[in-house]
Parts: sequence; structure tokens; C-alpha cells
Amino acid sequence: MIQAALGRSGELILTGFGVSLLSFLMIRLIPGDAVQLMLGANAAVTPAAMAVLRHQLGLDQPFVVQYAHWLGHALRGDFGVSLATGQPVLSEIGAAAGVTAELTFLGLLLAIVLAVPLGCAMATIRAPLPGLAIRLASIAGLTVPPFWLGIMALYAVAALAPRFPAIGWVSFGRDPAGNLARVALPVAAIALPATAALARILRASLQEALAQDYVRTARAKGLSEWAVLVRHGLRNALLPFTTAAGILAGYLFGGSVVVEQVFALPGLGRLMVGAIAERDYALVQAAILLATLVFLVVNACVDLLYTALDPRLRA
Amino acid sequence: MKVLVGGAYAAAILAALATSAVAQTLQIAVDQSPVGLDPHIATAFSTQLVDSAIYEGLTAIDADLRVVPALAASWTVSPDGLTYVFRLRPNSRFHDGKAVTPADVAASVARVRNPKTGSPFASRFAMVKTVEPDGADGVRIVLATPSAPLLVQLAALAIVPAGAADLARHPDGTGPFVFRQWEANTLIALDRNAAYWDTGLPKLAGLRFNIVPEAATRQLGLTGGTYQLLPGIDAATVLQLKGKPGVLVQSTQDLAYSVIGLNASRPPFDKPEVREALDYAIDHAQLVQAAYLGQGAPAGPLSPALKDWALPVSAFPCYTPDPEKAKALLRQAGITLPLKVTMNVLGSLPQVVDVAQVVQAQARKAGIEFTLNVQEAGRFIQDWRGGNFAAFASLNSGGPDPDDYFGRSFQTGGATNVYKYSNPKLDAILTEARESTDAARRKTLYDQAQRILACTGPAIHLAYGTLFTAERDTLTGFRINPTRSLRGLREATLAP
Amino acid sequence: MNTLVLRLGAGLVALLALLALFAPWIAGPPDAQDILARLSPPTWAHLLGTDNLGRDVLSRLLFGLRTLFAVSAVSVGGALSIGGGLGLLAAWLGGWADRIAMRIMDMLFAFPVILLAIGIIAVLGPGALGAAVAIGVVYIPIFARTLRGPALVLREGEMVAAARSLGARPTRILLRHVLPNLAAIILVQTSLSLSTAILVEASLSFLGLGTQPPTPSLGRMLAESRNFLFLSPWPAVFSGAGILLASLGFNLLGDGLQDQLDPRLRGR
Repeated sequence: MIQAALGRSGELILTGFGVSLLSFLMIRLIPGDAVQLMLGANAAVTPAAMAVLRHQLGLDQPFVVQYAHWLGHALRGDFGVSLATGQPVLSEIGAAAGVTAELTFLGLLLAIVLAVPLGCAMATIRAPLPGLAIRLASIAGLTVPPFWLGIMALYAVAALAPRFPAIGWVSFGRDPAGNLARVALPVAAIALPATAALARILRASLQEALAQDYVRTARAKGLSEWAVLVRHGLRNALLPFTTAAGILAGYLFGGSVVVEQVFALPGLGRLMVGAIAERDYALVQAAILLATLVFLVVNACVDLLYTALDPRLRA
Repeated sequence: MKVLVGGAYAAAILAALATSAVAQTLQIAVDQSPVGLDPHIATAFSTQLVDSAIYEGLTAIDADLRVVPALAASWTVSPDGLTYVFRLRPNSRFHDGKAVTPADVAASVARVRNPKTGSPFASRFAMVKTVEPDGADGVRIVLATPSAPLLVQLAALAIVPAGAADLARHPDGTGPFVFRQWEANTLIALDRNAAYWDTGLPKLAGLRFNIVPEAATRQLGLTGGTYQLLPGIDAATVLQLKGKPGVLVQSTQDLAYSVIGLNASRPPFDKPEVREALDYAIDHAQLVQAAYLGQGAPAGPLSPALKDWALPVSAFPCYTPDPEKAKALLRQAGITLPLKVTMNVLGSLPQVVDVAQVVQAQARKAGIEFTLNVQEAGRFIQDWRGGNFAAFASLNSGGPDPDDYFGRSFQTGGATNVYKYSNPKLDAILTEARESTDAARRKTLYDQAQRILACTGPAIHLAYGTLFTAERDTLTGFRINPTRSLRGLREATLAP
Repeated sequence: MNTLVLRLGAGLVALLALLALFAPWIAGPPDAQDILARLSPPTWAHLLGTDNLGRDVLSRLLFGLRTLFAVSAVSVGGALSIGGGLGLLAAWLGGWADRIAMRIMDMLFAFPVILLAIGIIAVLGPGALGAAVAIGVVYIPIFARTLRGPALVLREGEMVAAARSLGARPTRILLRHVLPNLAAIILVQTSLSLSTAILVEASLSFLGLGTQPPTPSLGRMLAESRNFLFLSPWPAVFSGAGILLASLGFNLLGDGLQDQLDPRLRGR
């Protein structure tokens, strides 16, 4: 068990390095740079002036030097300052990550709570028409564009309850009720496709579990459908379900951009997209690294959990 | 019991009075983050919006485009137009607490002129010879040649402390609001300047610039009360906000204009006939209907807001759309139809993208086939600055003085003459107009300039939109300014 | 029930594909600007209404479907070839090649999806091609993983052992024995990936990075329509519906295929 954990940690670090290098490369390849953006399209600037600014920002060094520089500092915990605001990158990200974490956590929680009964229903309902209806509904849930959903929701709220605080952000510490009100809609928008995805995965693994021979034996022994479902079906189906939830968590953490955009939430997704547009290299680098590490860590934990719980996988 | 109830009533009334007397923080929603806050370097609209509340120049431009005193309480100009003496406000201080001295003014001008700073305004003050103290509270500026727009252009020269460093992230000005915090992509917080020289102002407790890229979200935020001011909104949003309870819309003529810029240094637009042909192909009125939803006006090289200077559209023959004449001009220039050209489009402004599409459709009827290359801001700027385009579509800013439109853009070697246009006759006109102090003479010269530029110049001036601001009715005392400056928020109050 | 989902999916996809194919004959040109009729609701002249520049929504919808199918097909096709090929290769070669390949796939997989797409588009420039490449790159690790697993199993299986013992060359084994058995998985994964690729393209267009104007794009239509949502909701409604139906169709198809081709699930 410990060996497995150590092995995974090693892989994690390696992957982390790889991602940091990849993102560093990617950002540097993007044409146009922070200097020109700072000067705006209406400005009159000489190449000499731009060179001065570029040197001040350290952008005139060769790529390898820049990366080595960044890595050296990063390993010491210094991820640089944001080009735009001059604040340390970690503090900027910390605040944004907190917002996205709350969104992701609540969204996933809601999705799990809804997906379990839904998945069970999809797996056990035999009647063709309701079964088809639920299936279609679940697929529809998966394929609704989240930003469309968000905007429709805002539209509905504006029409039905104009005073409801649906936009912007207030921290939980400062105003719990306000915070929850503002995250209600975005969480719902995030949870819908997640619910659909999880429900379908649960259905697939439930069906597989329920088709096993020992289930038939259990039924023959006179066990009620309910008991069969819970004791044999769910227990075995929950493992792949958990894996999927883990992957989903990591994915949501890095991908809630459009929902954050629509609801004006100061989350990590928006921060990253904005930073790319402004060529705020340090910020992008650190943010991508964080999102990736969260994804990897969550996955690794889920995998370890899987290994620990599933007797067939223990060596 | 009665005493208790009465007491409760009294307490409630007192509380209500107290709240109404307490200054409020104004929640503003904007669509983009500023790109750096250095007032001498960054000129993006988003930066100017925030800086207009933090910094002041010696002069300011009011809502009617007149020059008014700002940091300078008064000034005198010598008859030959070469010496200006400004008297500074007695109790003005920077946000860091230091008093404003003539040395700071001199340092600010020097900083803008210094090539190392890389300021886009440098060329405007090239004629400044010396900036010296005139007593403890005065500044004397001596010019090498007269400059008619100097007072107007000084409004854009922010006075910063001598030796100020890193203004991009640590603003330090004299304005009504003090920079407190910038959360990347989220908000910029400004607080009331308690030591502001204009005692009693500002009345607001602070400004919060919320960065909200979604138009629908900004709109719903305003109607729902989350935001109280939306500066610089587009016509579609205005149409959707009309009639909503508690929402007021102000409008004024914008100084900025949508433009098709042409590269005059290489084919096909090096020939004036080809440029003129494109002019004849465009139906300005239809474009305003389509891209501005009718909220704007076609005009020539000067904004209709410059009432004393701008010639009406009827003065330019090419503003009457005539696709056949366009084709004739093209053939005359030896071009085989259809003429294929790539147009770079500034993709970060939806209005510009709409404009480009309308122009594309119109030009097709005249035998010009545009291929649109919609670029994001970074790449667009790179190509724009390097002259790496045949044609581009963008939004250009203007100013209260005609020299703001012409000086650096159309004079040979001008700092923003990306068109690589060179017309010695125009150069002479513009230089004389800038140096002349006779308003009538300037008018004659600028009329000539407009006629030259409107139909054969390197830029097709498409239209000047209406500039809108939407606010909650709880905000009083703010008047919209065509320069987009938010300085007017000094006098504004917000009811709770 | 078994084949209903499959037939629904296939039918929907076929219908949309036909509409897209015959777009120029069904509706007028997507760029024609009828300024005076802008933002109009559905009328006889414009069956699905017009957008803010007076362009026919039906026409833009159908031409947008073309772009959508093209981008999705290119991106998923590319991901299948490159990613699937990599996965097969890794499974076949085993050892270090396998480990390194999978390590790189993991890195790509862990990279936040939207950011990877944005980054690639930022380098290549916005547009349909950039979007297709970006989406393709994002899907490469998925196909690599999907094909590698079963390929590994098959490699050790009896059929392949038999072929080997008969002296068959590796390429022949791959083509004649391994691939056909992977057909089921390939088909299912491709359908499902097409479904989500459509959504990713829509999201990228929403952020302004996908297909650029004036090329019609459903995602972009939806994105632009939100500026005048309260003036005329029709472009938003129809473009959103278009995205939904296209994604739904492929998803149903993939789902139905999975039901049919996965023997364990067939006996319901």
C-alpha cells in the first residue's frame, strides 16, 4: 500500500514537471506579448521603448533561461508576480481557487446525491417507455450547453425574482446566506451535466453487476429486489462510480470557465482565461499547474482508494 | 409602552437619516480588465476609465468638451502663445501624502517626453522647451512653437510625483479617488480621497470596478441592483434596458469612430482612386443601422461632437454610396475585378466585428472581395503596429481638438501613422493649424484637411456611435462625458 | 428498446447530416444581410427569424451544421488516428515505449481541457482549423487509452498467438485480427467523442475562440445572440437547439451502439 502511494507520488511529480514545461512552451508560443497589450492599440510606441519594457519584465531572455529561472523560483515557493497587478501570483490564485473549489465541491455533491437514485432507476426500470424517457433525459442533461443553461437561468431569475442576488460573489465567511444564494444557480448549471454523466456510469456498472451469476443466485434464494440492488448491485458498482466522480471533480475544477463567466464569479477558470488573453505568463503558469495538480492528486487518491477497497486488485 | 414605541420610532428615523448621510460605495460593471494602470503608457479604454478617477492633469475636459481648470486653478497665456503660466491649487496632495509642487509637474512632462518611458503622448509635447517653477505655487511652460491644442492635450497628461516608480501597479495621483486594491480579473477597488483639494468632494465613499465580461450579466446586474453604473454600453444593451424600472440611460456623441484603415504604401491601396472606390462602395447609413442599431451617425474625419470643427457629411461627395462609380474608379486604376483583399479585424470588440461584416457585404457589390481575418487583440496590435496589413477594421479614439484626430495619425512619420501615408500638402496644413492661435484660420485649414482625408485619405471613417451610460436612479450628479472620463463621479451621490 | 435508442440516434444524425449537405438548396446564402428585417421573429420570408445583421437564421443554422460536422469530424478523426494509433503501438511494443507514451498521454489528460484548447488556439490563431486541432489534441489521450487496454488484452490472447505461431507479420496481425475486434470500441468512443466535441467547439466559440465570422457557427451564433437576448430570443433558441440536437444524436448513436455491441448488456 505504501509502495503504491510512493510510486504514485513519484509519477505525480514527474507529470507535474511535464505539465509545467508544456504550459511554459505553450504560452511562449502565443504571438503578441504583454508589452504590446499594455500599450493598447491606440498607442504610439517606438521599438526601443518596447524593448525597455520587455527587458524590465524579463521577456527578452532565451526560452530555456526563462524556464530555468521560473523553475528555480517555483521550487522555492516563489511563483512570481502577476504582470497586471504586481501581486504575488499565489495569493491571486488562492482566492480564485477557493471560489472554484466551493463551486466544484457543491456541484459534485449535488450531482452525486441526484445521480445515485437516478442511476438506480435507469438500471432497474424495465418498462420500455419510461426507461427510454429517463435515458433520453439523461443524455439531454449531458448535452445541454452549460452557458446556454446559465443564461436561460439568469433570464428566468430576472423575470421571476429580480431582487434575487444571482450575480457576483460574496465570501461565505462574510455573508453565508448571500454566498449560498449566489452559488445556487451556477452550482445547478454545473451539476446538471455532471449528474447525467454519473447517472449513466452508475447505470452501466449496475447493469453489469446485476447480470452476474451470484445475483441470480441471490434472487433465487428469495432476496428482495431492493436488497439485491443495494447489497450486491450498488456495492460493486460504487467503485467505478467513485473513480468517475474523482475524474469529474478534477475536470470541473479546471473547466468551470463558462459558468464563471456567465455568473461573474471570480473563479480559477476566469482567472486563467483572462491571464492568457493578457499574456500574464506567471499567472497562467501557476494556475495551470495548480489545476493539473488538483486533478492528479484527486485521481491518485481515488485510485488508491479503489486499490484498497477492491479485494481483487490487491496483489 | 407608548414611550417605548415612540422611542423605537425615533430611533428608526434617526437610523434612516444616518444611513442617508453616510457615503455609499458605487458598484460599476465593466467588460474588460485594465492593462496596467500607468497613465502615461497604457491607453486602452479600460485603463483610461479607471485612471480618470485616480489622476488629474493641469486641465480637464468637461461634459461639453470645454477646457476647465483641474489641478491648475487658473492660467495665463502670453500673446505670442509661447509662454503658459499655471497657478496650482494651494492644498493639493498626492495620494501618498506629499504635497504637489511645480517640480512634480515638470517631472511629469519630462516623463511623458522621455523616449525611455515609451509614452504615446510624447509627440504632443515635442514643442515644449522648458518647464520651470513660477513661485512656490506656479509652473511656467515655454514652447518652441505655439500649440493651439496644448490646453486640451494637457488634460490627458496626468500629474504624478517626481521619481514615481511602478505606476502600472501602484498608482499615485491627485484625483478624487485613491487606488486600494486590484484583484485580477475580478475587481478594482478605489476609495474616497479624504485629502482631496476640492473640499467636500468626492461624495461617494469609493468606487468598485467589477470586471464582468458577460453583457447579459452586466445588464441583469443593473436591473437587479447589484451594479449601479454601466459605463460605455452598446446600443443593443441600451435597447434592452429601456423602460426598466429604476434604470436611467444617458447618451452623448462619441469621439471614437469605427474605421477601415488602408495600407497606403503598397498595392492596391497605394492608389488614391482605389481608396476612393472603397469609399463609394460603403453605405454609411446602412452600416449605422446594422452595426450600431441606428444609434450613431456617419461622419467624416471629425466627430460630430466637435460642433465647431466637423464638416457635415454632405461636404464629401464619396459619402453618397455608388457601387457603379466605385467599379469605374477601380477600372480606371487598372484593377481587374473582383479585387481580393484580406482585412484584419480587431476581434475583441464585437461591434468592430459586426462593422467588418457589413463592409464586406457592401464592398462585394462594388467588386471588392474582402476576406476577414478576425484576430484577438494581441495579434491584431502586433500587425497593426508593424504595418503588416492591407486593410484593417478597428475602433480609433478621438479627442476634443481636431489635432487629436490628425496630428499623429496622418502626418508623415506620425507616431500612429500605421497607414504609412505621406502627403506633404496635408503635412503643411496640419503643422500650420497646430501652431496657429487664430481660430478662424485653424477652421479654414482643418476644413481643407477634412476634404483631403475624407475621400482619398488612408482611413475610411465609417461612423461615430452614440456613447451610452446606464445607471440606477439612485445615482445622482453624474454627467456622461464624451471622452469617457469618469471624473464626473466627483460630484455624484448614491442613495442607499 | 434495444434498437430504439440506436435507431433514434442514427436517424437524428442522418437527418442533420442531410440537412447540412443540402443546405445551399434548402435555404438561401447565410451571409445575405437584410438589414431592415433584422431581429425579426419567424416569418414566411425567414422561417426561423433573422439575427442582428438581418441574416436568415435557418440558413446560418444549416451552414453552421456543416462547419460543426466538419470540425468535429476532423478533430475526432485526427484524434482517433493519432491517439488510437499511438495507443495500439504502445500496446504492441510494450516495455519502455509503452510507459513513455502513456506518461505523455497522462500529462495531456491532466492538463485542464479548456486551457489546452485555448492555448493551442492562441498559438494557431482563432478559426475553424485552430479549433479542430485543439479539440483533436485534447482527445488524443482518450483514444490512446481506450484502444490500448483492449489491444493489450488481445495481444496476449489466443487468436494472436495462433497467428504469430503461423508466422504472420505484426502489421498483418494488427490489421486482420486486432483492429476488427476493436471496431466496437472504436465506433462507440468515436460517437461519444463527436458528441462532446460539438459541445467543446460551442464553448470555444462562446469564448470567442472558435470559428470566426463570417463563417457561420452554431456556437458563435449562440454566443453573439446573448448580446441581444431580450430583443429577440430566436437566434439563441434555435442555435442552442441545433447544438443540443447534434450532440444528442451522436450520443444516442454511441449509446445505442454500445448496447448492441457489448454482449454483456444485450440480454435485457
